Amino acid sequence: MLFRNVFRTLKKQYVQLLLLGLIITLSSFIYTTMDLGVGGIYAPTEAYFEEANQEKFAMKMMDMPLEVDSTYITTSCPLVAEIPFSISALKVIDEDCYYGVLNNRLNTITSEYDNIIVELRESKDVYFNLNGTSNKARILKDSVAINLSFFVEGEKPSTNNQIGITQAYAKNNNLVIGEILTLDDKDYTISGFVLFPDYSLAMFSDALIFDNDTQTMGLLTDEEFEHLNETVYFEIAGVYKEGYLDSDFKKDVIDDYRDNENLDFVTSTLLTINNMRSGAIYGEIEGGQKTALILSLLIASIALLIVGIMVSKVLQSQRGAIGILKSMGYTNLEITLPYIFFIAILSFPAIIMGYFLGVLGAEPMKNVYLTIYLLPSQPVAQTLETFTIAVVVPFVFLIVVSYLIIRRILNQKPVTLLNPPITSNANFLTKRMHGFLKRLKITSKLKHLLLYRNMVKFSAYIIGMFYAAFLILLSFSMIGVMDRMLYNYYDNTDYNYIGYCDYSQTCEVTGTQEKVIELPSAILNEEDIYLVGLSPDNELHKLLNKRDKEITNDLENGIIITTSLGLINGVKLGDSLMLQVGEESKEFKIVGVTEEYSGNRAYIDIEELSLLLTNTTTYSNAVYSQTKLSENDFLIVISTEDILQQASKMQSLFNIMIYVFIFASIAIGSIVVYILTVMTIEDNFYNISLFKVIGYNNKEIDKMILGGYLTYGIGTFLVTIPIAYGLFYLMTYYMAQFYGVLMPFRFELWHGLLSLVIFIILFYLGAYVAKRKLSKISLQEAMKMYQV
Amino acid sequence: MSIKLENVTKTYFTGEVETHAVKNVDLEIKNGEFVVLLGPSGSGKSTMLNIISGLDNPTSGKISIDGEIISDMNAKQLTKFRRDNLGFIFQQYNLLQTLSVKENVEVGREVSKLPFTVEEVLEQVGLTPQTTKYPFQLSGGEQQRVSIARAVVKNPKIMFCDEPTGALDEEMAKEILSILQKLNETYKTSVVLITHNPSIGAMADRIIKLNSGEVVEIIVNKTKLNASEISWG
Repeated sequence: MLFRNVFRTLKKQYVQLLLLGLIITLSSFIYTTMDLGVGGIYAPTEAYFEEANQEKFAMKMMDMPLEVDSTYITTSCPLVAEIPFSISALKVIDEDCYYGVLNNRLNTITSEYDNIIVELRESKDVYFNLNGTSNKARILKDSVAINLSFFVEGEKPSTNNQIGITQAYAKNNNLVIGEILTLDDKDYTISGFVLFPDYSLAMFSDALIFDNDTQTMGLLTDEEFEHLNETVYFEIAGVYKEGYLDSDFKKDVIDDYRDNENLDFVTSTLLTINNMRSGAIYGEIEGGQKTALILSLLIASIALLIVGIMVSKVLQSQRGAIGILKSMGYTNLEITLPYIFFIAILSFPAIIMGYFLGVLGAEPMKNVYLTIYLLPSQPVAQTLETFTIAVVVPFVFLIVVSYLIIRRILNQKPVTLLNPPITSNANFLTKRMHGFLKRLKITSKLKHLLLYRNMVKFSAYIIGMFYAAFLILLSFSMIGVMDRMLYNYYDNTDYNYIGYCDYSQTCEVTGTQEKVIELPSAILNEEDIYLVGLSPDNELHKLLNKRDKEITNDLENGIIITTSLGLINGVKLGDSLMLQVGEESKEFKIVGVTEEYSGNRAYIDIEELSLLLTNTTTYSNAVYSQTKLSENDFLIVISTEDILQQASKMQSLFNIMIYVFIFASIAIGSIVVYILTVMTIEDNFYNISLFKVIGYNNKEIDKMILGGYLTYGIGTFLVTIPIAYGLFYLMTYYMAQFYGVLMPFRFELWHGLLSLVIFIILFYLGAYVAKRKLSKISLQEAMKMYQV
Repeated sequence: MSIKLENVTKTYFTGEVETHAVKNVDLEIKNGEFVVLLGPSGSGKSTMLNIISGLDNPTSGKISIDGEIISDMNAKQLTKFRRDNLGFIFQQYNLLQTLSVKENVEVGREVSKLPFTVEEVLEQVGLTPQTTKYPFQLSGGEQQRVSIARAVVKNPKIMFCDEPTGALDEEMAKEILSILQKLNETYKTSVVLITHNPSIGAMADRIIKLNSGEVVEIIVNKTKLNASEISWG
């Protein structure tokens, strides 16, 4: 009998219950799919990293000869007539000298720190065309001890016309072992599919491009690597000696190297776990599981909040019946059981469905990971641990909390339940607000006071609305992230080709071409940056600030930095900083910040930079051009079209992810707004009826009841905007600090307006549904349900 | 304001069960009259009050107030009618707990075109010293007086009182009835009061006895007593 009664009561709330079920399903689904998806990669990845001796840390070095390097070059490298501005350029002039300089640096590091082993890591980037699309390969020189190449299929290249590429790239481009790949006009036969443990992401720069459709890692023979006519990049890979740990390394090296004068050439040291390229998978595995758990808990807690309100609402409406049952001798447990039973009956299938949908989604999720990460994998398998966390824990949690809520109400005496005493004291907020609302008309006053009468429900409403608003705003702020990261720069510049001149010569320009200096390594405020010398009146590389105002002319007064450099290095407009180029240092003021979100770049007047480098004002080492540059006239020619094409694939991938996120966020946010609105309006059922009896018309009642919730809902959405804005900035800042990568979230006015429109539509939809339901109850019946 | 009921019936349908709460009632309540609807539980007096006051519609028959047929009105028109003409007092007081005494009365005043002042009405019901108090700080009788003040402040033409003393002891009940009587006399407001207590009939102009949904007797009371003089059965 009791069960039937509870069933009929709950049946009336089927829409809210369905939506609630959806939230619970979503909560369990998110955790399961993430956990099992990652699990399919975790074990084989661990074994692979172990076998291939993955680096524990990576060090970046200046590509600029310092005093000690210059001394070495002068004394030990007779073939080098003039010291070039970069060490990479030295390799073209005298390869032995280049290795001599770098070996000296490596020896310096190991002499300073006993417990580490280091190895040079060299690479070259090649743009090439495949099926009419511009692709990019990062060719790594094979290591001896650290970050060993690992072939998942096929063999290591044994001749100079063989290449190993990544399986993900091959799969995406329908390439098989034995096929030909043409790089720098030379045909290479694919000998096998390779993985490198320091590249679990094919991420070649600090721009968030890591798609495996247009990017591949590559391995050639050592001899062929040296033959590739591309700029060489280098850094240091390192591992620990027995017993040495990350925490020791952080204390001994990371906290020390910046103050160590012998290690001025080291520009950054990153632990693998903090290195997005090699260690993001650790973050993904641990962080992803944690994030999934937190997200799932967050959603579950919202569900719980709603369950709590619903259950207490149902119980309040049933208090008379419960009072009678108690007076008849039913125990609390007997009365509680039907409620718990139906909560269990409703939530368990939702949780289980979420779990099994998660199991189904895990394999595709793993494959999504594998479209991004370069890792080995195994088939997804269910685990007891995942089942426990995804099903048992939330289920038990839901039941226990529901039980506690029910018990709290049931603990009242039968007589109290049957004849609720008038004890609803005006709470603290009601009393305080009375003072502020004194001058308002009673109807306006009621708009506020009706909300304050139950602080728990009011808080639940505000928290729920904040959560919904934040989710919706966050999803909107991600629209165009990739555009901002990649395309803004190229949209604002007018050159299509960059030609890098021979190191020994000054560039010559014709027509509309413009001379520039591009220095891959300079020191600004003790940080390694990419420095570009531009003419303040140049036409091909205008510099624009965040307000789209041109600031190129400001180069006459100081240096201009990118937004990303500012955020990553913590410098800002107006700061005066020491710039070190080669052996020269000079203080410059930051006179502008461009709206660029990738690259640790700074811009300086070309003549100023030329003076620092050569004591003349005419030096340049690269040319910007709108028309195609001949490969014969330049050492390397790069087409911006190639870069953009290559980025577009990543953009599509990112956009899909962002739209899925936007859809999910808006869906969850909308459900929260809808359920809370329906529940809060229903909660005012008695007041609405009373006002109707007194003679208030619908418009006036809406103003008093809906008006209050609408005002506070809008208020919450508006308050959330600056909070979200601040949180986006913090997220951007910490991501920049932690990973050195920028995620340019952006708030625009229309985001706020649209989120408000979404809220208002859902609010009125919820209110309409709730009011339609209420209108079915007669006024005289309502008057008997005096709420105290 | 006079109320006229012509052949009014109200039937409730619960599943397959049909209940005639009010059956073929013909009745007239005159302007300024104090009428008591008397009957035991289940006699149909509450249903009668609800349909007379427009809180509910009759299943058949016609109800008119001053010539306006309210039984044909839709919910919106009924609300307007209640707003302009009627006041309600219920057994459960039905006060808003977050509002003070004065504010609860203001809620009633707000909808009226020709309201009395809150102060005046509070004085009439003897609540001037309690103006700033909240319902939980008042006794049951005091709360019912707030409820009366809220109904009266809008200057209604008819007051409907559904067991207004049902939850009160004799002393408090008489106080409440005195107030209603005073308001009836002072403002010439028609009062329709339903009760199961026959003693209250002594203060009415007419007593309409109901049983099983039918008017079984109408007594014209020629010896009206003051509320304080009623002997409580």
